[in-house]
Amino acid sequence: MANSTTLTTGKQNIWGGGKSPFSVSYGKLMMWIFLLSDAFTFSSLLTAYGFIRYSFPSSQPNEIVKPMSHVSDQFVEEMQHTGLFSTEHWPLPELVFNHFPFLHGIHLPLFFVSLMTFVLIFSSVTMVLAVEAGHRMAKKEVANYMVLTILGGAAFLGCQAWEWTQFITEGATLHGNPFGPTAFAALFFIVTGFHGFHVFSGVVLNVIIYINVLAGTYEKRGHYEMVEKVGLYWHFVDLVWVFVFTFFYLI
Amino acid sequence: MEHSEHLEHTETPSNMKQQIWKTFWILFALTIVDIGLYFMLLSTHSMLKNFLFIALGIVKAFYIVAVFMHMKFERKWLVNFIVYPMLFVVFLVILMLIEGDFTGLVR
Repeated sequence: MANSTTLTTGKQNIWGGGKSPFSVSYGKLMMWIFLLSDAFTFSSLLTAYGFIRYSFPSSQPNEIVKPMSHVSDQFVEEMQHTGLFSTEHWPLPELVFNHFPFLHGIHLPLFFVSLMTFVLIFSSVTMVLAVEAGHRMAKKEVANYMVLTILGGAAFLGCQAWEWTQFITEGATLHGNPFGPTAFAALFFIVTGFHGFHVFSGVVLNVIIYINVLAGTYEKRGHYEMVEKVGLYWHFVDLVWVFVFTFFYLI
Repeated sequence: MEHSEHLEHTETPSNMKQQIWKTFWILFALTIVDIGLYFMLLSTHSMLKNFLFIALGIVKAFYIVAVFMHMKFERKWLVNFIVYPMLFVVFLVILMLIEGDFTGLVR
C-alpha cells in the first residue's frame, strides 16, 4: 500500500491548498456528505414521530398480560375492551409488538425486534471486518465477509417483511389501526418502510461490491476503498436502526 | 491499465480486529440494557425516561461512528464537520418532544 505523505504535513496550514484538508479521498468525503443529509431526512421523520407521540397521552401501565403468558386469537379485541388500546392515547409498544415466528399464541414483548437489532449489528460487524481484510488486500477474506454481510441484510429484510405482515393482518393500515391513534400505524409504515428501503439498497450495493471483489476489480485497482465507502453506508443504516428502535419500541 | 493510484487516507491501527469485536460486545450489552430498562421503567411516565433512552442511543451511535465508520482515526476537521450539525438535530428532537407534550394539553 502507498505510504501516506499527508500525515507528515500536519503542522503546516492545511487550508493553504495543494493537499486535502480532510485527508480522505473525494469519494469518501462525498459519502460522508450524503450520509449527513440522509441523517437529516431520518431525523425529520423521527422528530415528527416524537412530536406526534407526545401530543397524545401515554397509556396506563399494562398489569394484565404477563410476558410468556398465553394470548388468544382475539388479543387485540380484548385489549380494546380493557382500554389499553384506544384512539385516545398512544398504545404500549410491548402489547403491539409481541409476536415471534413459530411461537404463535405466546406473549413475547419486544423479543422479535431485539433479535432484528442484533442481526443488523452483527452484519455491521462482518462489514467492518471485510473493510479490515481489504486493508490487507486479502481478497478471499473480503469475499467471505461480504457474503455474511449480505446474508445479515437479507435476514433483516425478511424479519421486517414478517413483522409488517403481522401488523397488517391485525388490521393496521395507513388510515387506521386497532391499536391507537391513526398516526401510530401510518408513522410505523413510513419510517420503518423508509429504513427498510435503505437496507434493501444497501444489500443491492453489497451484492455489486461482492461481484466486483470476485472479479478482482479492486485487486487490479490496488485498493479496496469501494468496500469502505459502501461500508460507511451500511453502518449508517445500522445507526439509523438504533434510533428507529429507540423511538418506536422504547419511547 | 492504471497502476496503483495514490489515495489520501488516515492510518488504521494494527489491533483493529480486536477493537471491532470489543465494540460489538459493547453494542450488544447496551441493547440489552435498553430492553431491561424499558421493562423496569414501564410504569414511569416522565420526559427524563425518554432522554435516558435517547442518551443510550447516542452512546451506541458514538461507538458505531467512531470504530465501525472509522471516525476515531480521521482528521479533526472531518469529525467536526459531521458531528456539529448533528448536535443541532439532537437539540431539535428534545425540543419537539417537549413541544408535543404541550400540544397534547390543548388538543
